[in-house]
Amino acid sequence: MKITSNFITIFLSAALSGCVTASLENAREESTGLLDGESVVVMAKSYHQGNETEAYYIECVEKALGRGSGAINVIPNQQFVDNLFPWFEPRTAPADTKGLVQLMGRPGVPEAVRSMGVRYIVWLDGETERVTQGGSLSCAAGPGGGGCFGFAWWQDDADYEASIWDLSNSEAAGTVTVDYSGTSFLPALVVPIPLIARTKSKACGGLAKQLKLFIVSDEVA
Amino acid sequence: MDVAVRIPAEFHNFVHEENVLGRETWTINLGAANASFFTQLFGYMFENVIVLGPDEDALDHTFDALVEPTIEGFEFSVPNQSKTDAFAVWIRYRMQIFDSLGNNASTWTVSAYGKSQKEGMGGSKSLQRAAVLAMRDAAALILLQMDKSTKIGELADGPLDLSEIELSAVTDAVEGDPVSFGIFAIGGIDEDNE
Repeated sequence: MKITSNFITIFLSAALSGCVTASLENAREESTGLLDGESVVVMAKSYHQGNETEAYYIECVEKALGRGSGAINVIPNQQFVDNLFPWFEPRTAPADTKGLVQLMGRPGVPEAVRSMGVRYIVWLDGETERVTQGGSLSCAAGPGGGGCFGFAWWQDDADYEASIWDLSNSEAAGTVTVDYSGTSFLPALVVPIPLIARTKSKACGGLAKQLKLFIVSDEVA
Repeated sequence: MDVAVRIPAEFHNFVHEENVLGRETWTINLGAANASFFTQLFGYMFENVIVLGPDEDALDHTFDALVEPTIEGFEFSVPNQSKTDAFAVWIRYRMQIFDSLGNNASTWTVSAYGKSQKEGMGGSKSLQRAAVLAMRDAAALILLQMDKSTKIGELADGPLDLSEIELSAVTDAVEGDPVSFGIFAIGGIDEDNE
């Protein structure tokens, strides 16, 4: 009985969701790989550089990297930033690998990085935006009940780029780019039926999957 | 170096309340967190730190320098105002440095900024995060630039030589230059000069 209800839930959530299209790209500059005890930290590029990546998205990628098949060790972003204060604050974080080389030359910094076992920093840049929306929906309620009538839709685009820096040699290992576009629909004939495209969540899962493949693979382009 | 830190009562109880566009009232209480943040920061920066109460007479204590932080300005913006999805906070701190005799050695303005994307329905959590990021920004600036900007380290060798300061001020006035002793502004971190 429980299996049947689970099946119905999965079927309904698949059937009642909007459509999402995806495009993913990797650009590798250096070979990668992750040894036992080595970890990854996920950071948002500084808002001083115009980045608007949401804290929720960082957490989502961190969690997705640390679970499922091919899970990798992830050091929580806040722990890394706190341990290396003040060098990874939005104003002081290195903007490029030249800045990283300088930073890794500062007393105490390589030691702190080593003690946490951090091998890669993944810098996220990008955001999820509502690009268009339309339709109309109105609801009314009276003593005898209420209901909605109409149709609304909207499209969200989630564009994110992850730059992977290898701290073992202070080099950029490459980038992973994801571009998800999802359209959600809300038809209503008395009762609204939301068909929501989970664009940001899908972009999070997709990016984490690509990052796992990128980091553990040792291919050189 | 022995440093005394005096946290004024207004700093300790700082609350900013603002009505945005006549619709929402936002209340931000930086007070206790801000005070403990600064106490912690100075404890990390200097060998010996004495924390003075707001009404305590500094001259009852022995120290090389006295630091008195104040909040000179606080501003924030919410998504309705900025037409973006972000909350932003600006805090302007004024750090007054006195020598062991109570002479004003320098005054340094630290402008800090924090920004957080709107998440969830309300926004109070995002605004709080933006405020914390602004406080961390100030702490980073103080840690990296305070000595260069205020020359507080020189006070370890003794109090200011007032005759030298007066002489230099007179010379500046005669030459027609504005007297700029003790006034500094932050324009970012110049890491090369660290």
